[in-house]
Formats: sequence, C-alpha cells, structure tokens
Amino acid sequence: MRYFAQRLLFYAVTAWAAITINFFIPRLMPGDPVQSLINRYQGQLSTQAIDSLRTLFGLDEQQSLWQQYLDYWGNLFDGDLGTSFTYFPTGVADIIGQSMPWTLTLMGITTVLGFLLGTGVGILAGWRRGSWLDAMLPVTTFFSAIPYFWLGLIAITVFAVQWPLFPASGGYDTGLVPELSWPFISSAIEHGLLPGITIIISSVAGWILGMRNMMVSVSAEDYVLVAQAKGLSERRVMFSYAARNAILPSISNFALSLGFIVGGTLLVEMVFSYPGIGYVLFQGVGAKDYPLMQGVFLFVTLAVLAANLLADVVYLLLDPRTRREAS
Amino acid sequence: MRVRTRPRRALTATVGVLAALTLLAACGGGGGATGSGGGDGVLTVGMPNGPQADNSNPFLGTSAGASLGYRAMIYEPLAMTNLVRPDQEPKPWLATSWEWNEDFTEVVLTVNTEPTWSDGEAFGAEDVAFTFSLLRDNPALNEAGVPYQDVTQDGDTVTLTFETSQYVNQTRILDTYIVPEHIWADIEAPETFENQDPVGTGPYVLDTFTPQTVTLKRRDTYWQDLPQVEELRYTSYNDNNAQTTALANGDTEWSYVFMPDYEQVFIERDPDHHKLWFPTGLGIHGLWINNEVAPFDDPALRRAMSLVIDRAAISEQAHAGLYPLLENPTGLPLPAGASFLAPEYQGETQEVDVAAAKDILDEAGYTLDGDTLRTPEGDPVSLTLTDPAGWSDYLTGLSIISDNLKEIGIEATVETQTVDAWTDDVNNGDFDATLHWTNTGATPYDMYQNIMDGELYKPVGESSPGGNFGRYRNDEATAALADYRNASDEEARTEALYTLQRILVEDVPMIPTVAGPIGAEYSTKNWIGWPTDVDPYATPQPTQRGALDVVLHLRPAEG
Repeated sequence: MRYFAQRLLFYAVTAWAAITINFFIPRLMPGDPVQSLINRYQGQLSTQAIDSLRTLFGLDEQQSLWQQYLDYWGNLFDGDLGTSFTYFPTGVADIIGQSMPWTLTLMGITTVLGFLLGTGVGILAGWRRGSWLDAMLPVTTFFSAIPYFWLGLIAITVFAVQWPLFPASGGYDTGLVPELSWPFISSAIEHGLLPGITIIISSVAGWILGMRNMMVSVSAEDYVLVAQAKGLSERRVMFSYAARNAILPSISNFALSLGFIVGGTLLVEMVFSYPGIGYVLFQGVGAKDYPLMQGVFLFVTLAVLAANLLADVVYLLLDPRTRREAS
Repeated sequence: MRVRTRPRRALTATVGVLAALTLLAACGGGGGATGSGGGDGVLTVGMPNGPQADNSNPFLGTSAGASLGYRAMIYEPLAMTNLVRPDQEPKPWLATSWEWNEDFTEVVLTVNTEPTWSDGEAFGAEDVAFTFSLLRDNPALNEAGVPYQDVTQDGDTVTLTFETSQYVNQTRILDTYIVPEHIWADIEAPETFENQDPVGTGPYVLDTFTPQTVTLKRRDTYWQDLPQVEELRYTSYNDNNAQTTALANGDTEWSYVFMPDYEQVFIERDPDHHKLWFPTGLGIHGLWINNEVAPFDDPALRRAMSLVIDRAAISEQAHAGLYPLLENPTGLPLPAGASFLAPEYQGETQEVDVAAAKDILDEAGYTLDGDTLRTPEGDPVSLTLTDPAGWSDYLTGLSIISDNLKEIGIEATVETQTVDAWTDDVNNGDFDATLHWTNTGATPYDMYQNIMDGELYKPVGESSPGGNFGRYRNDEATAALADYRNASDEEARTEALYTLQRILVEDVPMIPTVAGPIGAEYSTKNWIGWPTDVDPYATPQPTQRGALDVVLHLRPAEG
C-alpha cells in the first residue's frame, strides 16, 4: 500500500508541474491573438478593428504574470477553463465538451481494436513462428510505413470519390443533429468507418511486431518449457505462461497510446474533416488562443497521467515482481 | 466588418498539391459528380473554417454566424452595399433613405417600418436607435471604429451625429446589422452574448445548430418577396482540401475557398454547372518597401523596381489566376475602382519595361557594374524579400519579383520566417521588402491610408500595427488623406484622391501587385441567378452582407 501512496504522490507532483508548465508555455510563445486574427482575415478585417478586438478579448488590462497564475489556478478549481479567443465568447470547456466525445469515441475504439487485433495476431505469430502468419508482418509494416496523411487521402480517393462507399468527410450527415437516434448513430458510424479502418491499418503493425518478438523470446524461457513438459494444453501454455509475460511491454505502450489519443488525432481529423479535439487544438495554436490551448493541453496531460496510473495498476496485477518490490 | 476567412496558406501549401492529385486521380477514373447536395428547396453552403461554437452574435467576427456567413440571412443592414461595384448607390433596405449634412457629421436615417422581427414583434426606428447606442456604448462591439456621438429618434427617423466628418465611414454605418431592442436591451454583457436563439428581420430563422452544420429555415412572412430557397444548410469543413472535395462532388453548392488549379479540381468535374467568379473589391496586395532603409528611400529606385515587376506572372502563377491583375499604375483594381480614377491615368496600363527602368536609374546616377546595380555612392544594391514560410502564393510571388529585380542588377534574396516573427518585423519596420495586403473599404481611401498615412508613422523599432508598415513620410500624402476624410465638397475630395494616386505612381511607397478578390465558387445545377461578370448585382461571397441579396435572386434550375 505504501508503494501505491508513493505513486500517487508522484502523480500529484507531476500534475502540478505539468499544469504550471501548461500555464507558462503559451505565454512564452511569440504572437498576439489580435494580430493572428487580422492575419487570418488578410485585409478583409480592417486595422480599425484592432482596438475593439483588444478590448473584446480583455487584452487591454495589464496584469502581472503572478496574478494571472493565481487566477488560473482559482479558475481551474472552479472548473472554469476560460473563454476562447477563436470562438469568442464561447467558453473553452464548451468547445472541449463538444469535440471531445468524437475524438474519444473514434480514437478510443480504434486504439483498443488495433491493440487487441495486433496483440492477438502477434501472440499467434510469435507462438507459431515460421507459419503463414509471419507473412502478415511485411504487409502490415508496409501500410504503417505509409504516412497516415497520405494513406487517408488515398483511402478517400479510392473509397469515397472513386467508389463512393463511404462519405468523404465530416462526422455525420450534414442534415442531422447529434441526438440519441438511430439515423444519427448510424450516420456517425458510417462516417467513422473509413477513418477508423485507416487508423487500425496504420497502427496494427506496431502491436504485431512488438508482441511477436516478445513471444519469440519468452517461448525460449525455461518456465514455458516446464509448462509444456507438464503436459498442459497448448492453449494454456500459450496464453497463461508465454503471452502473460510477453504482454508486459505492450501494456505500458498501450497505456501511453491511450494517453496520447487526445493529442494524436490531428492528422485523422484534418484528412477526414472530423469534428474532434485535434483540429480544435490546431486552430487554437494558429490563433494564439491561450485559454483554448491550455484547456486542451490540460486534458492531454491529465489523460497521460491517468493512463500511466492505469498501467501501474495493471502491472501490479500481472507481474508479481512489482508487488514484491513494493512491500 | 467584412468577414472572409483567409485561406489557410500553410495548409494550401501542404494540402493543395495532395488535393489536386487526389482529385486528378478521381477524374482519371471517369467518376462524375457523385454528391447529394441540394435539390428539394435546399441550398448547401460550405466554408473551410472547422468546427463552430454555437454563437450567433451578429457583431462578433468570431461567431459562427460570421464565420459561415449565415448572420446575413437572419439580420439585415440599413442598406445593401455592393463591394464589387462601390460606385453604385447602396440599395435601401431597413432604411428607406439616408440624408447626410454637408460636412458629414450628421446623418438622418428614415427607417422602413414594413419589416417584422422573426418572433412576431414589430420592427421600428427604436430598434435602429438602440443598435447604434449599443455600438457607441460598447467599444468592443464597434469593430469598424466609428465614433458615434448622439443617437436620437423621432418617429420613423433616427439621427446620428459625429464629431468629425464620416465621409469615409458611410458604408460602414449603413452596413450595420440592426438587432431587436426588446431582446438586446436586457443583455448585460452584449459583447459576450452568444445569442443562440437569434431573432432578426431577415427571411430566415435558425433551425438547428451543430458544430459541423447549421441549418436555416425560411420564415412564413418577410417584408419583401419570400426567397425561393426554403432551407439553407451551412457546413463547415476542416480545411481547404475537404471543402474543395465537397465542391467538386456537389455536396457544397456555394463557397469561398482558395484552390490552386481550379480548372482541374473544380470546373472540369461538372463544366456545365460548376462556376467561379472572383471579382475585385478595393483592397490590394503589394510589395511593401521599407522606405527608411537606404537606398530604397530613393523614389527613383522604387519607381524603377515597380517598372520591372511582372504583375501578370504574379497573378497567374503565384495566385493561381484567382487574384485579379492590377494593370493600372495607380494600384486601383478595375472595374471596382474605375469611377475613382484620375483622368491622367484613365486607360493607362502598366507593363514590364526594363529599358525605361534602366533610363530612370541612369538619370538618378545609378550605374550598372556588370550584373550589379550600384548607387551613386558606389554601393551595390541588394535587398531581402521576406514572408512567412508556408504562404506559398506570396513566396512564389517573391521569387518572381526576385527574378525581375535581377534584370536591373538588384540582388534580391527570398527568406522565410514564422508568421509571428514576420508579423512582428512588419509592424516594427524591421524588413527590406515583403508582400502584404492593404485594408479594404468602400472607397480607395482605406487602401491609400493604410499605405501612406503619415499619422500612422512610427520610427523603425516602434510598432505600427495600424498600417504604414513601409514607414512612408510625405506631408502632401498625409494632408490629402485628411482632406479626403474631412472635405465637405465633392470637388475637394476628388482632388485629394487624384493627388493620392499621383503620389503612389510617382513616389511608389509600395508596389501594388494584385487585387484582393471577393470571390466565390458556385453550382448552377439546382439554383440559378448567381451574380456574374455580366450581372454583378451583389458581392458573390457567402460570408458577406450581399449574400442575402444573392439568395433573394436565386431560382430553381429547370429540370
């Protein structure tokens, strides 16, 4: 239990450091939201608007950095993430709230599916090395070597434009309103299929490769040999003896990839015009929208920490050695 | 404020080529138009602006209503101005007439009492007076920066007074969207009011809002003839690439998006219906020269530089032919600026003339030493051309300019910066020359004032975000701008404008390259009656105020 308390303290300190850095980094970035807005409109937004925009965004009031930092923490505990400049005057929490479900659903499902599929194939390929399953490796590696950007565009060209099996962009049909109804859900699934499949195709090779190679080295261990000598069933040896040990590195990778779901979706959302958080972050960075950037970074940071905590727990359950060290 | 989100250049650079390839590959397979947009009384509009937040505050440029343009269908201005034909009188709209006093410090607006608010309440002069008081009392909402003083209402008329002449702000005042007093009077902080249930006098009301798509439904009653479009569907795509695909396959019928190689990726996908019109407004792009850096403080040198720059190549190659050519030496885009042109420059076109440039340099004492131009003092002439990395159209323009300048012996190197560093350097005067835009307005005043107003002058190192990035100082120009702003008679104004044109031609504080277009792509498959070169009745862009006028003109296509 002391081990667990130590870990929790460690996570608390990390969270404090991350949130503090999160506060300072956008402020150290060069640029000014009003100028970014003027640049974005290139001559259509007259320079007369500069003053009114500064007033609008509250940038005309000078405050010390220390005061801003204190306010930031105060607001954070109130659950107030501030007001976005890009979407002024909508609150950052609202923006994140409207885009986060899309990202979490699409990326969450595909990450889990990619992990399960890749690990499953990896276990079999590693156990029966030399079989036809090994041929999967070069094929999947080939797909994962294609930059995701390019793979997505090819998928759109072939399956949305050439043979219009799937819609080319968006998260749902333009005529629908998000609600819990079959037309909407089916439309969302239809729109999510092509990006989902491409994500799985491009990520599955990593899981297969890692799992297969660990399986190969674990298979040569003495305890696997003993298990086989005891006459246990092949299934039992493969899953309970070899795979259980081989999967450990994959678990920590999986936890990390869960944490990076939020941050790693930009390309998917760009290519498929998907209404998720990655694109919102991209817009926020382009517009020097400090509150929006901070809000999204906060989510990424907390997600990574939570995923790490989860990995720690799973490790404790799977690997007795960590438990022994802890006591 | 006019909203036209700039095509994101960084993306244009990376995505554009891929988009072209993607669609080319699609064309190769003989795939025709496959989209499902339109029909059934629906008009689909698209913009490449990413997910939107539920905000229909008509005064905020950051709102979804402004970004997608649907605010123009809900709220109406006092008069309908046409940016592509600025010489036309604005069409009376919520005001039936407006009367300025002689020195343009007072305007009497006669309000049209026919319209009604979409919630059934009566519309009247009180609403107009309320709206202007709102703008006066909330500087944050007053993006045009019009200095309103007194707002008084008497029956159906509203009188606005100002401390100084508002000649140059006339259309900005008439462009104001009028909001209902019975709703807005209770709003404590109108600048942060999200107005999710907008009530306006326009023919449409907000039906559904999602971050991706906004739909508007036609009202049952409207003070003019009801438009034939029953439903407007605005979709926001994440980038230019997705928007271009949607236009090409017919999902979007009306949009404004910058597309390289538009013939291939858009027109040829359905040549009978896919149309594009990019007319000029009164804003331009040009090579801003730092007038405080020697030897570029010499007007003769700047004039020679202007003579060798190949504007046709910049328009065609750098801006994909979408940014119209600027032929007139005054930098006025034609035909929008035709009525403002000084008689001496009428019909003049400026073409590349290396010989004439060399003569000018010769006369001013410059010498050509092999391939290098030397100043009268004997120093070689060289400069650095800068623009942000990824702004591919500007960078192509700079490399064309660099080649052009080489012909008169000027060594020009092209360098890129981050957008932020570049913005800082331009504002602080820390550059040799850069491609940048000017302000746009209803008269050429905005553009000239942005280029050469001495009142905006700041020494190098001090920021001047309001304009005059080139640090140009010419008392005659500053006086002419003030005259134009304040003069009470038409003759003095015209004279001032002619002076400004002459100064731009002779002194070349900035070298105009191309006109800033107010463009749109549209499809005539389901709807006809769009504005064209032949019938430029309104600004074609879906995010401009004129968009309502366009929709009112649309009729279903036969068959």
